[in-house]
Amino acid sequence: MKSLLATLALTTALTLPGLAMARPVTMTTTLNSYGGDGAYLALYVTDPSGAYVGSLWMAGGKSKYYKHLSDWYRLTGGDKAQVNGITGASVGAGRSLEITLDLSDALFDAGYTLHVDAAVEDMRESPNEIAVPLTTENAGKPVRGRRYVAGFTYDM
Amino acid sequence: MRKTLTLLVATTALTAAIGLPAWSAMHTPANTGPAPFAAVFDDAAQTLPLILASDGDDDKDRHDRNSSRRGHDDDDEEEEEDDCDAEEDDDCRSGAGNPAPAGTVAPPQNGLFGNGTPPQVKVN
Repeated sequence: MKSLLATLALTTALTLPGLAMARPVTMTTTLNSYGGDGAYLALYVTDPSGAYVGSLWMAGGKSKYYKHLSDWYRLTGGDKAQVNGITGASVGAGRSLEITLDLSDALFDAGYTLHVDAAVEDMRESPNEIAVPLTTENAGKPVRGRRYVAGFTYDM
Repeated sequence: MRKTLTLLVATTALTAAIGLPAWSAMHTPANTGPAPFAAVFDDAAQTLPLILASDGDDDKDRHDRNSSRRGHDDDDEEEEEDDCDAEEDDDCRSGAGNPAPAGTVAPPQNGLFGNGTPPQVKVN
């Protein structure tokens, strides 16, 4: 009886943390008023060695333009399956995209980096517009992009 | 004592039922198919109807101006895109080949997402 109780207590202790292995993370990307059409944005994650891990969001629904998100395209080979179910509309100049995703806790403080690639019609491509290490310390701290992104933050 | 035991049994069953599929889904490498426990959910996800994207936000302008996103030197590619204007074939109209929009299918099992709240998006 006592061993059964101990086993049950152990299994409960082991499985309960599993329920808390993900948390909602809100990512806000505010664009400059660059005076062009809507921007395509690819948000994706690389591991400590720089290898592609996965995509978090694709702003822009036409896959034929994905080649202009050049880093994302190079890392994924333009595989549309990478962004199935996490794709939305492109983002207009001066506007702000706010995405809330249920993300694995294992992504934070483990050497992963979140990248944003940007591209605008008839304007210059901006691969790696943002590259921010995913740490609890960086949460809530705005990061400025290189060309189109006025500010990017993630809040947990 | 019996009450404690009952409570532990119930919590174990509950956490195992919820936690195992979540854990399984989160640890499946990308493009390797569903994990054993996550397969329960994946089967259901695959039966969802595919709703093709129709983001008419700026496509008309794009086609009318006979230009592609970001100027590049590959004329063949541009002509290929422009074919959509001229022929209006099924591929061009249906948006075939575009990824499924958020909310129509589950996010990819790339180990980044939990099984909690589906993606929410807002543009201000």
